[in-house]
Amino acid sequence: MAQASKQGHRASDPLVALRGIWKVFESVTVLRGIDFDIRPGEVHALLGGNGSGKSTIVKIISGAYQPTAGLIEVEGKAQILARPSQAHAHGIYMVPQEPHIFPNLSVLENLTTGLDGDSSTIRQHAREIAAEIGLKVDFNAHGGTLSIANQQLVEIARGLMRNAKVLILDEPTSSLTHHEVESLATQIRALTGRGIGILFISHRLDEVLDISDCVSVLRDGQFVLVAPTEGLTTEILVEAMLPEDFDASAEREAAGTMPDDTSLVLEVRNLSSQSFHDVSFSVRAGEVVGISGVVGSGRTELAEAIYGIDKSATGEVVINGKAAPQRSPRICQEMRLSYVPEDRHAHGIFLSLPCAQTISSSVMALSGAHFMSPAQENKLAQQFIQQLRIKLSSPMQEARTLSGGNQQKIVLAKTLAPEPRVIILDEPTRGIDARARQDVYRIIRELTAAGVGVVVISSEVSEIAEVSDRVLIMHRGRLSEMPEGQIDVDHIAAATLAETDEVSK
Amino acid sequence: MTRFGWLKSWEFMLLVALVVELAVLGMINPAFLNVQNLLFSTSDFVHVIIAAVGLTLIIMTGGIDISGVSLMGLASIILGLSFVAGAPIWLAVAVALGVGLLAGAFNGTVVANTDVNPLVITLALLFFYSGLATGLPTLLDMLGFKAYNAGGFEAYQYEGINGLPKSFTWFGTGRLGWVPMPLVVTIVLTLIAGWLLKHTRFGRFLQLIGVNPEAARYTGVPVKRTLITVYAINGFAAAVAGLVLTAYFTSARSDLGSEALLNIITAVVLGGSSIYGGEGSVLGTFLAGLVLGFLRQGLLSLGITSDVVPVIVGGLLIGTVAARIGMSALQRKRANRAAYETERGAMAAIGE
Amino acid sequence: MSRILKSREFLVLLLLVVMILAVSNVNSAVLRPMTLINIVNSSLFLMLIAMGQMFVILTRGIDVSVGAIAGLSAVIFGFALNAGIPLPVAMLAALLTGMAGGMVNAIGVVFVGIPPIIMTLGTLGVFRGLMRVLTGGSWIESIPHNIKSLSVTRIFNIPMMVWGVSALVIIVAILMWKIRWTRNFYAVGDNLDGAYLLGINTRKTRFVAYVLAGLFSGMAAIVFVGQIGFVPMQTGDGQELKAIAAVVLGGVSLMGGTGTVWSAVIGALFLTTVDSMMIFLRIPGSWNDAVAGAVLLIVVVLDYLIRRMARNRLLAARSSEMLHGEDGTKAQTLEQTEQRQ
Repeated sequence: MAQASKQGHRASDPLVALRGIWKVFESVTVLRGIDFDIRPGEVHALLGGNGSGKSTIVKIISGAYQPTAGLIEVEGKAQILARPSQAHAHGIYMVPQEPHIFPNLSVLENLTTGLDGDSSTIRQHAREIAAEIGLKVDFNAHGGTLSIANQQLVEIARGLMRNAKVLILDEPTSSLTHHEVESLATQIRALTGRGIGILFISHRLDEVLDISDCVSVLRDGQFVLVAPTEGLTTEILVEAMLPEDFDASAEREAAGTMPDDTSLVLEVRNLSSQSFHDVSFSVRAGEVVGISGVVGSGRTELAEAIYGIDKSATGEVVINGKAAPQRSPRICQEMRLSYVPEDRHAHGIFLSLPCAQTISSSVMALSGAHFMSPAQENKLAQQFIQQLRIKLSSPMQEARTLSGGNQQKIVLAKTLAPEPRVIILDEPTRGIDARARQDVYRIIRELTAAGVGVVVISSEVSEIAEVSDRVLIMHRGRLSEMPEGQIDVDHIAAATLAETDEVSK
Repeated sequence: MTRFGWLKSWEFMLLVALVVELAVLGMINPAFLNVQNLLFSTSDFVHVIIAAVGLTLIIMTGGIDISGVSLMGLASIILGLSFVAGAPIWLAVAVALGVGLLAGAFNGTVVANTDVNPLVITLALLFFYSGLATGLPTLLDMLGFKAYNAGGFEAYQYEGINGLPKSFTWFGTGRLGWVPMPLVVTIVLTLIAGWLLKHTRFGRFLQLIGVNPEAARYTGVPVKRTLITVYAINGFAAAVAGLVLTAYFTSARSDLGSEALLNIITAVVLGGSSIYGGEGSVLGTFLAGLVLGFLRQGLLSLGITSDVVPVIVGGLLIGTVAARIGMSALQRKRANRAAYETERGAMAAIGE
Repeated sequence: MSRILKSREFLVLLLLVVMILAVSNVNSAVLRPMTLINIVNSSLFLMLIAMGQMFVILTRGIDVSVGAIAGLSAVIFGFALNAGIPLPVAMLAALLTGMAGGMVNAIGVVFVGIPPIIMTLGTLGVFRGLMRVLTGGSWIESIPHNIKSLSVTRIFNIPMMVWGVSALVIIVAILMWKIRWTRNFYAVGDNLDGAYLLGINTRKTRFVAYVLAGLFSGMAAIVFVGQIGFVPMQTGDGQELKAIAAVVLGGVSLMGGTGTVWSAVIGALFLTTVDSMMIFLRIPGSWNDAVAGAVLLIVVVLDYLIRRMARNRLLAARSSEMLHGEDGTKAQTLEQTEQRQ
């Protein structure tokens, strides 16, 4: 690795500098006065959990969002980047996590759309740059036929065609194979060799340590660690990213208090669908079963098949001792199984409704239910607002004005209102702050104490380790159980990461 | 909500607008304010309100159905043809309303089961129903049906069907005390629809679907069934509108109501419904319909040509939406600013 | 080549030919050149406003005011001619009127952020009302007769107008192919955020689309007045909905990003041919709308079913790869289909 040669650039002035940036969305503060530099010839990695504010920083630098307060300096001068095209004019280009490929336009058109100037010159330029970065495809083919790796190269080429001095790579490796990741790393080195500054975002810590010169870790809208990569280890990064009050010794606190009733509340036998194969497991009253798995492993699909969203799955599901061959969200909730979906905004919450109406919606949706008067609705909402410690000024407040954590609690309240005996939580703490996360864990403990069976699906190993009594690993649509003695961060992480590596190969 | 929160409501503003409008028109032309005339003039436009009330329920779900204007004519001609074919008038009414209901349910079935934009689906059906309405008389001839009083049905293709019994036309021309029957029908339907929306599970489902259809599905709301039902209700409302107009004109025609689309959608939007769904008020639609209708009557009474009316209606539609967009953008900006100041203050306090 | 054969435009064209041939079995008069030329001739007005509509729908908008803009332009055109203004200047006036109408829509939709259906429905009322106010509600007649020469003059037995519009269609097709900037319409309709992040001036792109819709409506007005020689009050009435039906039928998705100028041309031809075929089948003209509506509904629903089938097949392929541990290369095609929708 060309670590030494890149050290030479460290002293140089930043290409882009953020100074005291604040960002507030829908009354929710996402960034709290951050400072951040990107220097020429340097790969600056940005780390942080979901909802820590990473993508907001990226969008501010690339001109898609305007900061609520603070300054952006480009090569020492304060600039306003009101539009992405202005950021491009200052030599800043973002390669988004999901490349913006226009499937109905040709590859060449995909490369050149949005650029002004003489057509033949631009086309020639596009071909040269494509050759330079190793994009070898039919230029007349539809954009829709490109592989993800090539789509990313198209995006990088778009940046270079705009003479970018700063490239932002937002999770560029998340859907690449092992081989493609290596060739991307080579590309990145070639780019920094030309003096281009790179902002690199990734979840994979080994890659970050391998590729970057400098790492910043973001948590709840503030930096908790800014350091040169040299001397950093995976352990240091993991610790920085963990919630402030995470205490490994308290992890298994809940396990001691098993209730007397331990009947099976959920049995899944030989369940198969397009996304997973022959899955069997069971959940007892008062127990937390963690399902650990990477995105795309089939874990959410499994939950949706059990909950009756995906009706094509075959196999048996027994809820509270009764077979449920026909399932829909309504039937499941009537059989007292509930589900908190992974994507809160898309599937969970009604943002523009008063919270009381979201909370009552599940109860009202049950067949044979009655319309709830505003008074009844208010009473139900008040009950959960107290029980789950939801912070709002009144039950009539719209959910959109709440923080992520409180929004998640509203979804939890909605899910708990029909009094389920078994509940599936899919990424229950995604995008919420540390305190809300502890609240969610507390709620899970209270539920199990009351004899509810809980399934927690998560890609965050620390979360699985903290809350689970038993741990299942979902990998490529197949489910396996962790041995009882190995339910800790290291073992689960090892199992999950090892399996991820296998996928890459 | 404070005790006087309703003073800020959109419905109240519409009520104020209605009063101001009548006052201004009355000042210019005192003759306009004759209560009896004013009430009776509503019969010219309440069909718009009836159809708009049905559409309000659909727009609640984030959908749209523009085929209602064709269903008015279809219901009218079906009533007329059934009557000419010898059916008793109550049966003819039932058939016409039934067709409206079924046609609406069909619209809803296609909307609920495909991802095709409801605007396209109901555009196709707008053509289909209006073609059906104009073509039906000749179809009956081709199929060999005989009109009750000899002659083919074809004559009714563009001509109205007259001679409808008094018991039916009373719904268009009669009155209950001072209130003309069409207005009575409109008020009854508005009350029913308003009750459905505000006080039933069905109404809440409409709102949940409008705010977030996917979340509604995950919550257990029967999305498809609700959609089919609401489109059926809209079809029924359109058929009622067609029949009220038929009774008022004492003549059944296939092209009744075909000009009403702009007015219907304007009434819904001016009434406070969001075209994106999740927000709407039946009472608002009713009041907006009155504002629009009296505006037209007032201008006519001032001797201003009715040609100006669509200009004003169109302008109102655009102006209302633009004003609402501006207001909400301003509100959001203020709220974000306030949140920032609070957090920043809190952080500074910690820092000190 | 196979791409053309699989396209929606081709499917509808095929349907069109089949329909004509089927009707010719009943009434061979259909296949006479004069019949076909007349069909094309009477489709010109719809074709032009459909072409304008296409630009707007490409950007995922909609314009229901195109018929009213055409009506207003026709009135201005008629006034200009009656005032003795030379034909070219009168034509320019009609086109400028159309563009001005489109610009009003563009300002409301692009700069104020009013939903396109609301904005253009509002201007539909405004323009139609203006048209009546300007004319006092009466037809513009006694337009100098030389205007009709535009449609009466024939070259190789084909009316001048048909030649003119054909040339225009070809020019537009070539421009859409040659000018890189026109890809912005597709990019904006396909993925507005993506286009914005790419630095495309999305506002300008959408603005231009609405102005073009107005411009084409202005052209349609000239064709209309040229063909009938006067301006009735109904000019353009209901044509906005037909124009939308035509482009959607021809394969322009209301979700934006797909479709070509041929979609508009073939869609308009198809709807006009349906009307004509009814005559040859001696089915009363009152059924035209019913048939057009049914065809549109069937085509869009079929299109949905085909898309769903293709999607399910891809899903199954991806899953079997994942479950059986093959290389993930084909998995990407799923995301592409999702993007395409």
